[in-house]
Amino acid sequence: MNVRTIDAGRQGVLAQIGEVWKQHELMFLFVRRHIASRYRQMALGGLWAVLEPLAQLLLMSVVFGFLLRVQSNDYPYAVFLFSAMIPWQHFGRTTMAVAGSLQENMALISKVYFPRLILPVSAVFRELFDTGLQILVLIGVAAWFGYYPSLWLLVGAPIVLLLVSLAGLGLGLCAAGVIVRYRDVRPFLGIALQGGMYISPVLYAASIVPERFQFLYQLNPMYWPIEAFRWMLLGQAMKFSWALPITAIMVVLLLVIGLVLFTINERKTVDVL
Amino acid sequence: MSSELAIWCEGLGKRYLVPHRQVEATSLMEDLRDHLKEYTGLAGRDESADYFWALKDVSFEVKQGEILGIVGKNGSGKSTLLKILSGVTEPTTGRARLRGRIGSLLEVGTGFHPDMTGRENVFMAGALLGLSQAEIRSHFDEIVDFSGIERFIDVPVKRYSSGMYVRLAFSVASLLRSDILILDEVLAVGDAAFKEKSEKIINRIAHDGRTVLLVSHNLSAIRHMCERAIVLNEGRMIADERPDEAVRSYLQVVHDEGEEKIDIRTLPPRVDISERDDEDYPRTFNTLKWAEISGPDGPSRTLRTGAPMTLRFGYEMPELVDPCYFTVFVLNDVGDRMFVSYSYHDQDQMSFPKSGVIECHIDALPLLDGAYTIELDFGRLSEGDVRYLDFVPRVLEFMVEQGDYFGARPLVRNQGNFAVRTRWKSGVGSAVGIDG
Repeated sequence: MNVRTIDAGRQGVLAQIGEVWKQHELMFLFVRRHIASRYRQMALGGLWAVLEPLAQLLLMSVVFGFLLRVQSNDYPYAVFLFSAMIPWQHFGRTTMAVAGSLQENMALISKVYFPRLILPVSAVFRELFDTGLQILVLIGVAAWFGYYPSLWLLVGAPIVLLLVSLAGLGLGLCAAGVIVRYRDVRPFLGIALQGGMYISPVLYAASIVPERFQFLYQLNPMYWPIEAFRWMLLGQAMKFSWALPITAIMVVLLLVIGLVLFTINERKTVDVL
Repeated sequence: MSSELAIWCEGLGKRYLVPHRQVEATSLMEDLRDHLKEYTGLAGRDESADYFWALKDVSFEVKQGEILGIVGKNGSGKSTLLKILSGVTEPTTGRARLRGRIGSLLEVGTGFHPDMTGRENVFMAGALLGLSQAEIRSHFDEIVDFSGIERFIDVPVKRYSSGMYVRLAFSVASLLRSDILILDEVLAVGDAAFKEKSEKIINRIAHDGRTVLLVSHNLSAIRHMCERAIVLNEGRMIADERPDEAVRSYLQVVHDEGEEKIDIRTLPPRVDISERDDEDYPRTFNTLKWAEISGPDGPSRTLRTGAPMTLRFGYEMPELVDPCYFTVFVLNDVGDRMFVSYSYHDQDQMSFPKSGVIECHIDALPLLDGAYTIELDFGRLSEGDVRYLDFVPRVLEFMVEQGDYFGARPLVRNQGNFAVRTRWKSGVGSAVGIDG
């Protein structure tokens, strides 16, 4: 029989990851539970996952694409925008969901033992679910404009989204433990993400950034998933730059730091008097 | 840890930093320092006044299949101990080892999500316990059956009444085969039928070799369900002994009588109660002055089952009350009244001199082993109604020993409070059936 030792110093990061793997059923239960509770009492249910981004898309297309005529490299603005919004919003939502995952479940954490890492991980999966729905809509919108999904998209989109999830997980984990005590961090994070959207090529084409700033611009980790989506869906050319491997390392580091910070913080969260 | 132990813990302690908000105008630096201290345990002078030890140096062992009771005043650290053992919070010092799966019911409806149905919550709770979905499925029917809420199993849990909540939570916790079951005060909620059921289940669980940790304020439940009990007070363990002894230690602390176990037998058989003043019963008509208890061999705090008992007490009425009465209450260690005797029940005596000494005599004390308490009362009789004037709770405690009342085979503890002589006759009827 399993002997559990409780000590003043708890499990390390690797042990926690191991636990999450072992308890994957529980993790998926959390995902299901959240999705079910979100949609259960809403009349339009799952439709909202789709309606909300569509409404946003419509509004922004009219303002930025039509009224302001923002540069979109000759692609129809709606598709141009939407293909970038999917990875960006996935990043934003994943980060916020992960960051708030401990706070939301305080009642549970303070009564039952389970590997806490399950909460942020389940947040990642449930955002993947929502984004998955949105991709279907994206394919629909793009097709309407004449851009049909290529094999690249079908294979590449999940991969890119997974990588974006990891980035969101990393950033969110750094914040998750802290948010329980200092709730300000949450809106602060929200504002930072808003800012992040403007320095990423979501609303406009990356090509409008002057040449001498391009490298710096490309150090934004979200630059790459966004351009990747545009390439997969629209066929917009993508050029390799050394910024890519650098951002990859940044993301990995972020994830590692996030895991460590999370492990340190989650122990203390229950003791917030 | 030896294989027959289910739980072992040593030196467990839990310290919290208490935020000081007395002076509002603390500087930003001090505020920051406080936060840093709480957060990282570093920074600045370590004033012990800033810390609060919810639990300090607690060590004990629990064998497999044992039912251990945990009692203590509110705030004594019981919940903190359970939280540590359940893995919900980390200890500041010490360590513990637990063998097997741990199921905790730290609060009713732990882990239940209000929007999900009972069914979904059962699966969730089981998963939290570490069981696979398949295992839960195999026990599902049994759980629903036991909880008695089959009709509502697919209704969102937020619609349940608190009783249904408890029943479901408890049946999940107890039937999902955890090796160690930790229960925090959950027997308090729930109706009588549920209480009976849960006690039966707990006993069955222990019988199956599973271990139970039971925290409860219900002292009689602790007494007859647990084989051992520990008493916590202000974060420290002050006793680890048989349930009836533990209950006494706990009550002693509750009554502010200190933690040192007082042996009733060593106390003087005569007490002065003229100065006694209990908050709840102010002595506005101070009449009862002293009391003395005697057995067949003279004044003593130790009496015997079936033997004579005499209670003498002295009184002085501030002014003559006529008609009046005196009452003697005898209670057991957990405060249940065993029997009561009113002065007017014997020969209808209703007049007493203004001051004097009264003797109450019982020919054969019907009480079994244990510690008992006497309470005295004095009041006015008016139109057949009693109106109390002076009451002294917990006048004195005394011990009763069974001795050889039942001959060579005395009654085992916790089998009741009264000694009843019964005559058994065999061969009274012929047939085995009811009509015989």
